[in-house]
Amino acid sequence: MQIDFRLPSLGADMESAVLTDWLKKPGERVRHGEPIATVETTKGLIDIESYEDGEVKELTVQPGTKISVGAVLARLEVEGAAHAVPPPATAPAAAPPPAPPAAAPIEPHLATIQAAAPGAAVRARISPAARRRAHELGVPLEVLERSAVAGGVVHVEDVEKLAAPAPAPMDARTAMRATIGAAMARAKREIPHYYLSHSVDFGPAQSWLTDFNAKAPVADRLIEAVLITKAVARAASRFEGFNGFFRDGRFEPAKAVHAGAAVAVRGGGLVAPALLDADSKDLPALMRDFSALVTRVRAGHMRSGEFSAATITITSLGADGVDALYPIINPPQVAIVGAGAVREQPWVLGGQLVVRPILTLTLAADHRVTDGRAGARFLRGIADLLAHPEAL
Amino acid sequence: METEDIRGKLLTLLTTIAPDIDPQSVDPDRELRDQFDFDSMDTLHFAAAVSDAFHIAIAETEYPKLARIAAAADFVRGKLTQGREGVVT
Repeated sequence: MQIDFRLPSLGADMESAVLTDWLKKPGERVRHGEPIATVETTKGLIDIESYEDGEVKELTVQPGTKISVGAVLARLEVEGAAHAVPPPATAPAAAPPPAPPAAAPIEPHLATIQAAAPGAAVRARISPAARRRAHELGVPLEVLERSAVAGGVVHVEDVEKLAAPAPAPMDARTAMRATIGAAMARAKREIPHYYLSHSVDFGPAQSWLTDFNAKAPVADRLIEAVLITKAVARAASRFEGFNGFFRDGRFEPAKAVHAGAAVAVRGGGLVAPALLDADSKDLPALMRDFSALVTRVRAGHMRSGEFSAATITITSLGADGVDALYPIINPPQVAIVGAGAVREQPWVLGGQLVVRPILTLTLAADHRVTDGRAGARFLRGIADLLAHPEAL
Repeated sequence: METEDIRGKLLTLLTTIAPDIDPQSVDPDRELRDQFDFDSMDTLHFAAAVSDAFHIAIAETEYPKLARIAAAADFVRGKLTQGREGVVT
């Protein structure tokens, strides 16, 4: 059977993207997880992966076209009973809006109109003045006729609009700030957050890490953030109500833990793509995934599966940070765990005042799903796991 | 290998692990952390690249010596000299 391959949502904040490249041609085979196309978003270039095995039949959008989330990009021939939509694990972060016709540009520019389907059935009515102006500006009559399909008579203003250069694109930094702003405004508007914090003695984890790294060649070494991510992911699989999505008025727990890792983009901004199955991978494997993910983020070229998949997010300030951070949930997720900088602080151990490396963990969670007591158990669960790093 | 050559190679390695950095903009005497928001992952990637390119062992405790390009070049040169003289530290 044939199915529509649509632009997935790559985060609650995404409405559209620009198709930059096709990575497959009609007639080519495509496997589940294999990239089909590259799109440009405010987060950078993202390869859109197929969620089916099949054959590419038709590409319905030209490179350079702005496309809305849910728009059909291609038609695929798939074997057997296919999912018409991506399976839950890689489901779009927000329900896709009713699919607009392929290639629904917001502002029709020359390029997009030229790329639109030819063969306008309606005979265009172009005013004589418009015709003259089109000649002066070098707008082909063909383009005018196509633009007329939607709006009836073509006037001088329409010609001038068509000939005008596309509005200057927002610079990448501004666009990323706008994206983060939109997602965080939605989170603050819709999610009743509650916040908890808990300080833990990071000594055992730090000693274990130092020993491990002393024996390993540089390329195989681990960083603190990987231990913290693993501990959060394991706790998330154990304690209910923190791993999954809040959609259509109810919580949908996720089976797998795909840990979103907040990664800073140099010069400002951040993205939080997912480390897939973070709870079940061993530390070296998780470190390899993390390392590759950061490299892709910094190179500005990521994968679609990483964006739609995260079931919980972890944000770590690193050694240069401050004691604690109070993060905002990334919708439609229901929890985010923050890790402050590990710092030597006074600590009471066995009745004695000692100096220990202290890590302050924070949790922002969704009150529609859990309460503070459950959140406290979850945070303590993470702390317990970090106290026994050899078992992580 | 002279310190200047080492410095040039370090800049190449830096832009390999961090393609978003313009090598022209690197101030060799400033910490990469301050200049480019270098985090623990960048530091690890840089140490791994330096270790691999110059065939030298770098302990985790030596990462701070790679924090500035100028100091890193001296550090690498020292390591290479030690290697030639067969000194093991």
